[in-house]
Amino acid sequence: MLIGLGFEHPLLVGMIGIGLLVLLVALGVRVVFAASAIGLLGLVELIGWGPAAGIVGIVPHAKSSIYALSVLPMFIFIGFVAFHAGMTSQLFNAASKWLGWLPGGMAVATVFATAGFAAVSGASTATSAVFARVAIPEMLRYGYDRRLAAGVVAAGGTLATLIPPSAILVIYAIIVEESVGRLLLAGFLPGLVSALVYAGIIVVWAKVRPEAAPPVGGATWGERFAALPPLLPIMAVVLVIISAIYQGWATPTEAGALGAGIVFAVALFRGAGLRPIAASLMESAKLTVMIFSLIWGVTIFVRFLGFSGVAEAFTAWVVALDAPPMMIMICILLAYAVLGMFMDAIGMLLLTLPVVYPAVMALGFDSIWFGIIVVKMAEICLVTPPIGLNCFVVSAVRPDIPLPDVFRGIMLFFIADVITIIVLLIFPEIVTWLPDLMRN
Amino acid sequence: NVDGPSVFWKISMYGNSRALTSGMEALAEKVAEETDGKFQIRIFYAEQLSPARENLDGLKLNAFEGAGICNFYHPGKNPAWMVFSLPFLPIGDPEVGRYARMRMFEHPAIVADMAKWNAIPYVSGLLQQFELMGKGTPPEKLEDWQGLQVRAGGGLGDAMEALGATKQTLSASETLTAFQNGTVDAAAFPFTYAHVAFKINEEADWYTANLAPGTSECGWVLNKTAFEALPEAYQALLMDNRDLVLDTQQAAYDAEDEVNLQLFEETLQKITYSEEELARFREIAGRPVWEKWVADNQDSFDAQGVLDDFLSYAEEARAR
Amino acid sequence: MFDKLPAADRQGTGPVACADRRLSPVEDATNLIAALFIFLLMCLGIAQIVMRTVFQTPLSGYVDLVELSMAGMAFLGAAYTQRMGSHIRMELLLSHLRGRPLWAAEIAGALVGMGIIAVLIWYSGAHFWRSYQLGDTTIDAEFPVWPSKLIVPVAFSLWFLRLTIQLAGSIRMFIDPSRTPEGVTLMKDAAAIAHEEAEEALAASQDGKD
Ligand code: NA
Ligand code: NA
Repeated sequence: MLIGLGFEHPLLVGMIGIGLLVLLVALGVRVVFAASAIGLLGLVELIGWGPAAGIVGIVPHAKSSIYALSVLPMFIFIGFVAFHAGMTSQLFNAASKWLGWLPGGMAVATVFATAGFAAVSGASTATSAVFARVAIPEMLRYGYDRRLAAGVVAAGGTLATLIPPSAILVIYAIIVEESVGRLLLAGFLPGLVSALVYAGIIVVWAKVRPEAAPPVGGATWGERFAALPPLLPIMAVVLVIISAIYQGWATPTEAGALGAGIVFAVALFRGAGLRPIAASLMESAKLTVMIFSLIWGVTIFVRFLGFSGVAEAFTAWVVALDAPPMMIMICILLAYAVLGMFMDAIGMLLLTLPVVYPAVMALGFDSIWFGIIVVKMAEICLVTPPIGLNCFVVSAVRPDIPLPDVFRGIMLFFIADVITIIVLLIFPEIVTWLPDLMRN
Repeated sequence: NVDGPSVFWKISMYGNSRALTSGMEALAEKVAEETDGKFQIRIFYAEQLSPARENLDGLKLNAFEGAGICNFYHPGKNPAWMVFSLPFLPIGDPEVGRYARMRMFEHPAIVADMAKWNAIPYVSGLLQQFELMGKGTPPEKLEDWQGLQVRAGGGLGDAMEALGATKQTLSASETLTAFQNGTVDAAAFPFTYAHVAFKINEEADWYTANLAPGTSECGWVLNKTAFEALPEAYQALLMDNRDLVLDTQQAAYDAEDEVNLQLFEETLQKITYSEEELARFREIAGRPVWEKWVADNQDSFDAQGVLDDFLSYAEEARAR
Repeated sequence: MFDKLPAADRQGTGPVACADRRLSPVEDATNLIAALFIFLLMCLGIAQIVMRTVFQTPLSGYVDLVELSMAGMAFLGAAYTQRMGSHIRMELLLSHLRGRPLWAAEIAGALVGMGIIAVLIWYSGAHFWRSYQLGDTTIDAEFPVWPSKLIVPVAFSLWFLRLTIQLAGSIRMFIDPSRTPEGVTLMKDAAAIAHEEAEEALAASQDGKD
């Protein structure tokens, strides 16, 4: 016992731990080190060096060797190989042939191309980065407002975490002990709704200012249908993952493996050499380590919170609040919005859920619905200042579009996201319908 | 009523508060009451203190003072305890099971398994006997099991394979989906509460009522160091209240059974096997699995002795 | 792709640069092994689907095998990931620092990392040793668990070495910030990283075109 507080003040120790963690992370210490180091110190304070260090030594292996988590490397691998198979430009090509005639048609096409790519990619920033290259030049060529062009790519990237496969939804499912399959299914419709709201707001805006987003005609039906066959592999992956989970003929990991196998075969067939394949494997391994380190590192900190009893205390406090549950929910969501300005989405979920989730359940909310809402919040944080990583990405790929312009372009989509969140608050069935269908 | 120092005990448990944990909850209340709040026992649910499979490591490290463990989560950590998972042991009657298991908790081999981990067996979790629920044509005769896909693990899975079924290992939460889509024809869970907990009964057409093919031991163990450090009065308080834990658990299971059995009778077809058929069942799927287990383990401990003692305790209980 | 650091960083003649050059191939190799684990997981998953749905005989011990192999994916690339600067951190404050304050912050970060990784090497080693000595097997097929648990201290030892090199490189720069950096991951701001990612992604999608 360093300062002799022991179990008489475990709550205090817990609060001090949270404060120190925020400080270290803000100072730029890598999250895995900060979380596990503070977790260790906190445990030492609560139960002494031997038991504390021993417990900490168990966590990395125990938290990494969980079958449900094996879906993560598969989902990551699918995304990297999909790049190598050249699937992005084909998606955009098809979407613009089919949707270009709409007001703001090229921007609408971008939304649906990113939604399509979301079906093979679980990462927002990567999706934005690729489409900044593929879609922005085309939009500019047709005289689109550069802020709109940048905004739609930054926002479209966020669809990747809602539409399965999604690493974040898997992690949420595992933290709260929900079915991974149900969570993945639950993200599908809200992802589509988000895309539709994006598209709708673009069309309305383009009606008002047609000069900034002119429709693009001229694609014949022949051209339209000719653009479809290259999309077959992506459709196959969507079909495999959704039907495997929905019909239960494969676990998410197996479905991910089959999806990766399909994309991999397509990459080989299209002549990808050994070098890009090895590269995507090395990148997958790196990203896998990064995510797993985050998982066990934050778990060490959360173990310390467990011993300190903070979670129960928080739940008791929230439940005792004299306010309607929806009011408390909105406060929680606002707190996530603030946190999301400064933290990575996965780290944020790992850190907060063990404390927040029991309270949310005690208030009587649906656990799957809450997962989707929280992930949507985390995604909004990816496109808003001050960090807004997706906007950085777009601006970096297009040095001619300065960051403030990207942020201005995103305003439209920020409004769309707020509308989507409100829609999901009012109609929770959009989230729960598909997973419930699977259960009944 | 009991005077002593202030002591705070942490019990590591997986999952949430439920029938299985009701006994320890009653114990915590009782102990606090008897010591005027000086001896506090708190159960930490949902793997807050340790992953379920590493609870024994946590006890070895003195990280907490007690834990709920399941023998089949880590067969290699408690080889002698795997006797509890053998199929068709004659402990289907709850009274017999309770007596035999509590005698086993004092058996040298069972104690030795825990001693390695600095733990002592405390009380059995009295996990209920498995029964099977399934969809489609009910297997009213043993031959009907041929070719069925059955979700069952451990010794029970081996037993079902001996009948010609194919065993599948699925996590509990995956089972329902597999069930709905015909990937699995039947699923074994502790009867009755687990079938309801995982909503198997909502999908099933039939259930076996008296197969009692076996169970496992998900019981409570204490940290040896912590126990020995307790004043004698506190030690006695724990040991004297083992029946309280068992009674409370049993009552909780019974209460759930009463509701569930009625539900099952109303909505599902009940399959009851005749005594001759059960005997034949045990002959095919019981003893051969026991013998294999003994042969596999005889080198590391006296597996035959453990099995024989367990059987003789069950015999004793039936004679009482 | 395999070697993202600026050239100056890799061609130095000092002890830090030498150590960096020695360790890098080992890290590349272990990350490649981790990558192969991922590839095998894909093959195993497909095999399991085929065996179960086509031949009605699921691979026995499949779940156990996957769980044991996950340590290979989760840990073996830890040092490589450190070298690439890919373990997540908040660079909002760091990106405003230049010269000595920056290197002081890097030193502090490396020290925190080395401290906790040292503890983890020892105690994850103890966790391995318990499972080796007292016995521990998987839930279904009863495979021994210790080889999987052994991967953790081994991979973390490599990670510790990488952190040592980064610490030495940062101290060297703290003493004289005008030197050419050696053995450290140069921090790029988020925009630069994003730019690089986009370049890679683009190159990748070009590779794949007919
Ligand atoms: Na996705
Ligand atoms: Na932000």
